[in-house]
Amino acid sequence: MSESGDGGDAILNVGVDLGTSRSSVSASNGERHVVRSYVGWPADMVARKVLQRDVLIGDDALENRIMLDLHRPLERGLIKEGSEKDAEAVRELLSHLISLVNNDDARVRAVVGVPAEALRVNRQQLRNAMSGLIDQLMIVSEPFAVAYGLEALLHALVIDIGAGTTDFCVMNGRYPTEEDQRTLTQAGDSVDEQLNQLVAARYPEANFSSHMVREWKEKHSFVGEPKGSVEVEAPVRGVPTQLDITDEMRQACESLLPPVTEMMIDLISRVQPEYQAKVRQNVLLSGGSGLIRGLGAALQEALKEIGGGQVRVVKDPIYVGSDGGLALATDAPDSDWEKLSA
Amino acid sequence: MASLRKIKRRMVRRVVDENLDLIRGPRATRRSRRLSRLFTAAKVVFLVGLPAGLVASSMVLAEAAQGWVENSRAAILRQGPAPGLVPSPWRVEPVVSAPFALDHSFPAPLPIDRKILPLVVRRVVLDPGHGGDSSGTEAPLGLVEKEVTLDIAKRLRRLLEEASYEVVMTREEDVGVTLADRADYGNRESGDIFVSIHVNWFENRRSRGVETYYLGPTDDPYLKDLAARENRDSGIPLAEFRDMLERLYADIRQEESRRLASAVQRSLHRSLSSINSAIENRGVKTAPFGVLVRTEMPAILAEVSCLSNEAEARRLVQPAYREYIAEAIFDGLRHYARGLNTSDNQRS
Ligand SMILES: Nc1ncnc2c1ncn2[C@@H]1O[C@H](COP(=O)(O)OP(=O)(O)OP(=O)(O)O)[C@@H](O)[C@H]1O
Ligand SMILES: [Mg+2]
Ligand SMILES: [Zn+2]
Repeated sequence: MSESGDGGDAILNVGVDLGTSRSSVSASNGERHVVRSYVGWPADMVARKVLQRDVLIGDDALENRIMLDLHRPLERGLIKEGSEKDAEAVRELLSHLISLVNNDDARVRAVVGVPAEALRVNRQQLRNAMSGLIDQLMIVSEPFAVAYGLEALLHALVIDIGAGTTDFCVMNGRYPTEEDQRTLTQAGDSVDEQLNQLVAARYPEANFSSHMVREWKEKHSFVGEPKGSVEVEAPVRGVPTQLDITDEMRQACESLLPPVTEMMIDLISRVQPEYQAKVRQNVLLSGGSGLIRGLGAALQEALKEIGGGQVRVVKDPIYVGSDGGLALATDAPDSDWEKLSA
Repeated sequence: MASLRKIKRRMVRRVVDENLDLIRGPRATRRSRRLSRLFTAAKVVFLVGLPAGLVASSMVLAEAAQGWVENSRAAILRQGPAPGLVPSPWRVEPVVSAPFALDHSFPAPLPIDRKILPLVVRRVVLDPGHGGDSSGTEAPLGLVEKEVTLDIAKRLRRLLEEASYEVVMTREEDVGVTLADRADYGNRESGDIFVSIHVNWFENRRSRGVETYYLGPTDDPYLKDLAARENRDSGIPLAEFRDMLERLYADIRQEESRRLASAVQRSLHRSLSSINSAIENRGVKTAPFGVLVRTEMPAILAEVSCLSNEAEARRLVQPAYREYIAEAIFDGLRHYARGLNTSDNQRS
């Protein structure tokens, strides 16, 4: 429900986290949704007739992929350069996200989070893609939105490990600059790739898809000591077979540790010396891949090397980014919003 | 320590600024006043005010600096700097305070022990360079120094006020104020420190750097010799005792200015080079800029950026970048102020 209930003039604040694999939206009317970042168009007339839709989004698109021209438009969270189709897909995705929360035809003010390294031109593309969809728009760096949402604005390090990227953001009580933010391309997708290769190498005759690999990972991921053996089922020459992938799982997940640890320590070492200890005590792990079991503990262990600290996994990794965007949208004064027409 | 609400407000403002940039693109305020730039450069040199105690050495210094100022801003005023009088543009830190150090006549004053004499920074005088007819340097993009300095100063004022400092400004709009009036105003307002903000112009369009000045001698061997010669007599007549105290005071003020300058310079360079590694650290330097001579408190003149470099000028068009510069200066000032308040007397 919009505040005034009479639509049109009511204002709805919205935060959007545009992710490589999942995008979430949080709105001031309490609506929250998450959608897989897939967009598909019926591949031909027949498909259109069967599907009875012009465009399909999220799981809907994934399930019908056979009949679709399917796009995962946000490579590393950005609109892929030079792809008209992807720009259009982003527009569809955002339009869908907004429609999920805006049931009252309110005027929409949206804060959209993009990866820290999104260049000006990319943000410009996004602005163009959004024009006309909503009334007012602000684009922010995603890890900043996460930090803002968590109110981790002072002496904190946010590490957001998503699918396409791992984004780092040091918060010093001031708006993070390029210096305070880093991005690695080692994240959930790269773990999937490794796991895929390792399992294929060990069980050459097993038949499995990347989709299955991701499901295995999301169920059994871990670093460090295994809790038990990881067994999954896949057909081998047509016969459903139990495969032990404990070592493969561990190795694939642990591939994140060296780059993430190194970046974490590097960023902390750049903090003003008097605040380093505070930052070490306040490392926040967000993003879907932050849920890998033991990852937080392993990073915390690595902090011992530089004096010790604390790594916490955020409570609600799916919505933390969009909630942060919503908080920003709510906190920005009306007078500023007026200048930010989409 | 700013409250969470303040921090949030500041950050939201930054997000808004950044997005406004994105919408508007580089602002174009086209105007061309090359002559005015030259005029300004000349004014900086010739309007130097000279209080009695500093006359002798300053006059020599003024000439030395003249060569440098001309060289860096507009080579047209003179063919080139007089040989041997140009301070090296690289690392000049720490600077030897030669003419004031009185090396051989009596021991140089020890740095003040801040436990005995606690100094506090409460009121900051901000001096946005140029204004009115004096535009300062100008970028090809149409960006004018006087506008940039005022904008950065206002941002800096906000930051300082949020951190509970008092701030007075020598100008708050686009008006001309003489250098003497700026200094006098700061003195009248009993500022604790004086910060003059300028944007540089280098003949070499490719250089981009930051540098910070405080009043004092150059690094130049010629001047050191001169000072040594003047200080050769070892006996100190009682009549000169007063004079000596004055010089001692000048030394303290100068030492504080130096510390202030290096804190700001370090912070500026650190912040800006993290955005752009091409930013040169042109170091802390001394020169007898008019405002610095006349002010009665620790005073610096910071060249916080340069309009001669196109890439840098393009960044300066963005409010977010100017805010960033303001924050860097703010950090430097706070660092200096903290050094005073805690008896941490480290020299670096
Ligand atoms: N329980 C889990 N264990 C391990 N990985 C998981 C788990 N749940 C989700 N993931 C992984 O997290 C990733 C998705 O996280 P998230 O939604 O934060 O990414 P994103 O925001 O779409 O990506 P990006 O931020 O890179 O654009 C996927 O790689 C997914 O497989
Ligand atoms: Mg994400
Ligand atoms: Zn100037």
